[in-house]
Amino acid sequence: MNAKKIVVDGLLTNYVQAGAGRTILLLHGWGDSAAGLQDLQKKLSESYEVIAVDLPGFGSTQTPGSIWKLNDYAQFVSSFLGKLDINPYAILGHSNGGAIAIHGVSSGLLYAEKLVLLASAGIRDEHKGRKNILRVVAKGAKALTAPLPRNMQDKIKRKAYQAIGSDLFVAEHLQETFKNIVTADVRKDAANVVVPTLLIYGDADTATPVRYGKIFEAAMPYSHLEVVKGAGHFVHIDQKDAVYASIQRFLQ
Amino acid sequence: MNKPTVAVIFGSRSAEHDVSIVTALASVIKPLELSKQYNVVPVYIAKDGRWFSDPKLKDIQLFSSGAIDEFMRKSKPVALEFGKGLKLIQSGGMRNRSTTIDIVFPATHGTYGEDGTLMGVLEMANVPFVGCDVAASAIAMDKVLSKQQAIANNILTPKFVYFTRHDFARQNGSLLNKIEKDLQYPLFVKPAHLGSSIGITRVMNRNELENAIEVALHYDSKALVEEGVSNLIEVTQPIIGNDNPQLAHLEQPLTQAEDFFDFDTKYMKGGKKGKGGAKTDSRGAQGYSKIPADLPTDLYEKAQSIAVEVYRAVGCSGIARIDMLIDSKSGQVYFNEINPMPGSLYSHNWNKAGVSNINLVTRLVELAIEKHAEKQKIATTFSTNYLKQF
Repeated sequence: MNAKKIVVDGLLTNYVQAGAGRTILLLHGWGDSAAGLQDLQKKLSESYEVIAVDLPGFGSTQTPGSIWKLNDYAQFVSSFLGKLDINPYAILGHSNGGAIAIHGVSSGLLYAEKLVLLASAGIRDEHKGRKNILRVVAKGAKALTAPLPRNMQDKIKRKAYQAIGSDLFVAEHLQETFKNIVTADVRKDAANVVVPTLLIYGDADTATPVRYGKIFEAAMPYSHLEVVKGAGHFVHIDQKDAVYASIQRFLQ
Repeated sequence: MNKPTVAVIFGSRSAEHDVSIVTALASVIKPLELSKQYNVVPVYIAKDGRWFSDPKLKDIQLFSSGAIDEFMRKSKPVALEFGKGLKLIQSGGMRNRSTTIDIVFPATHGTYGEDGTLMGVLEMANVPFVGCDVAASAIAMDKVLSKQQAIANNILTPKFVYFTRHDFARQNGSLLNKIEKDLQYPLFVKPAHLGSSIGITRVMNRNELENAIEVALHYDSKALVEEGVSNLIEVTQPIIGNDNPQLAHLEQPLTQAEDFFDFDTKYMKGGKKGKGGAKTDSRGAQGYSKIPADLPTDLYEKAQSIAVEVYRAVGCSGIARIDMLIDSKSGQVYFNEINPMPGSLYSHNWNKAGVSNINLVTRLVELAIEKHAEKQKIATTFSTNYLKQF
């Protein structure tokens, strides 16, 4: 495992390279980094060259100077691969990394022979009702806390978002970008993905429930859904061996 | 008699900001206080360039817990007065509080400190300070200038090509051709001014070379590409002193020729030339280096005498550490780079050479006072009739 640096579209980018053979690109989720996928990378690197990149704003890669959309992340990954002169055999994305992969492949920015999507995000309107309620609550809370000092306000806000399980404060420096990302729905993109795709979801995942996997499976003509028992959103960490075995089978 | 007041300045706008905090708190402030000879005033330069001074800044917990952000929100930065000696001015409710500084111990690493910029302020204030002066610091912190200085003094250094961001943008292709014509792989690409292996890449082919240059130029406006040394043994020599340099042991970081340690390996895991490593991790610099270096006596002595030549050629005073590369087959010793403020003062090595942390810092303060006294002998003003003609 070798951490390396490269400049991609003007951003100083950190990535970790391991193993030799056909190349697999790993894309981490929101608030995570290449390090979050390192066990999987280590395992896969026994038979493949595996490259895990810190996406802009995460890990040791620079934060973009502007507010990004999902497409900007896909464009970045495309430039990154171009710069390294790599045509990946497979792309593996976890959570938001999955949404980037789906969008990238569908739009032609990215190409791979196979896709592996772990607890992929990208289905975005499931909580619409709940979100609207929260928006009203948030506005009320803002009015109530207005007389308090700024740092107290921030503290309360952070606690409140934590309580409702929002990732808004996971990467505070990317709040506006985050708002773009969580509203980007890739269901339509999924229908354009015509490469063999393995979908893996944990049955105890509340962030991206198995239901999402079923939606993607129905939308993607060459996909196959596997549900892993006793695993949450970090399915590749919760059930390491099972997830690794599935991926290995699929890639062979 | 009142004890002299020593201000220890650390942090600053540098990639090595955090390393500097450890150097200052663990290797400078603590032994200075233990010596009981000085009042020690910590002066912290934040990443945004504001200066703070408060006894609380002596506590590493303040930094490691992240409470420093809250501290800075609540505290007022200090102002400097340097017309007649150095004074720290803390504005208060009714009146300002001023602290006269007798001696400064700069404990900064990298940009806006170790590179001579801070020494400029201190020389303007005419206050004694520990370490190299403006010119030596600036030369030492520029890998191109220090290599050129070595060459001018007939000291061997690996072959290199240097260029600016502008040069590279304008003549990318021809520059790469020139590098490939003049130098042989493996090559090392380095930003000219940064320490701690930041932005340094070892490359084996043109594509890697081009990418690595982009990375180096992302950190710095000037970069160099240098040939690797074969049969490599890396050594480093800590030195203190003004006109009569005193040497610690020649130290040999334990690395393989193919191995290359980046910032994380070096510092986070307490690797070879661990700046913070020596203090924060018991496996630190001691664990990854041989002190003294395991070399035949003649080679050992040759490296030590070259280190002294470099120290003199660059015009160092107070303290520095000279890194050298040895080709173990040919017995050639190459100057690599010079570090005017070694992380944690390289006290682990000095300890082995029989100099305790307390003796090291008090000696450095004495050297600062000696150098300052010497400088006062030089006339800087003259009475002339020049203005009378107007």
